[in-house]
Amino acid sequence: MPTTTRSSELRVPGLLRSLLAAAAALCLALATGCVHTPAAAFFQLTPESAQHRAAETRQFETSEGDELLSASAAVLQDLGFQVVESVREVGFLRAVKERTAREYTPEIWRGLLLAISSFGLISGQNTLIWMPVDLQQQIDASLVSRPIDTEGARHEVRILFYRVVWKGDGYAGSSYIPPGQQRMESIRDPRIYQLFFAKLSKAIFLEAHKI
Amino acid sequence: MRTPLRSAVWLATAFALAECANPPVPPPNLLAPTEEQAALRAMQTRTFEVADRTQAMRGVIAALQDLGFIIERANDALGLVTAARFAEPGYNDMVGVTVIVRPQGADKMEIRVNAIYDNKPITDANIYQNFFATLEHSLFIGRT
Repeated sequence: MPTTTRSSELRVPGLLRSLLAAAAALCLALATGCVHTPAAAFFQLTPESAQHRAAETRQFETSEGDELLSASAAVLQDLGFQVVESVREVGFLRAVKERTAREYTPEIWRGLLLAISSFGLISGQNTLIWMPVDLQQQIDASLVSRPIDTEGARHEVRILFYRVVWKGDGYAGSSYIPPGQQRMESIRDPRIYQLFFAKLSKAIFLEAHKI
Repeated sequence: MRTPLRSAVWLATAFALAECANPPVPPPNLLAPTEEQAALRAMQTRTFEVADRTQAMRGVIAALQDLGFIIERANDALGLVTAARFAEPGYNDMVGVTVIVRPQGADKMEIRVNAIYDNKPITDANIYQNFFATLEHSLFIGRT
């Protein structure tokens, strides 16, 4: 004889259904990280290539290529970066800075998942899940300055900001998830680029022209 | 029942010892050039009518940037550029590119690019053709 009422029998599958839906969404989100794009796609210009180029590039009416590169290094220093690579002859700079990657939202999700798993609602057993979250990030800047006319009277500066994020450790029941899992992404927020170029214009007393 | 088992153990030990005593001999043509290498080299190499090596390197860097690559290292004296990009939207794979620019006579530059994807060399000729098309644009049309 069943001891539970009909209403409670209905409530549990409903909850399970939501959990299954959440798990499916999580699987989908994880699966997008495993998409294997064909290699040919990386060697062709796309409609976004021009947009990215426009956001990452500014032109300056100056013949002083070295001065532009030096001012760029100074601006990156002002923004907290350490210059780790420089090649004057081809106008190249690479700079990095490390920052924490911890944010409130993943921490809340981690707490929620821990609470749900502690009631055994995910695996049917009391398996605690302590989801790894983003812990540390390295923000990198790769900058190239080059003359854009044959006389060398105009130069363009192109910078790309990107970041590498490392996750902390976690647990799924008795199995330990080691820290160090990493992912990388380009930073596409136009405000970051506008800020950099505004500072660079100020540093060399020249107006930055969009391309 | 024990004798066959003991024989099998002895046989396995003898095989293991024989492996240790005679490690596999590398084939004599291990480092010899193969037809595949020659074909790969041909598809990875292109000569451009550019006299100045630095200008050619700047063109290579601009082409790689246009394709979304991050310039990691450049060495003007050696004519070397190393770049990489994430295999977006997946973040687990990397596409790595090494380009070397070498003078070919007085007014030409030989540009060789080799690319790896997920730590395996890319051997598709179309991919290199696409790269050289972007490079050509960057060297000759992109400049104002």
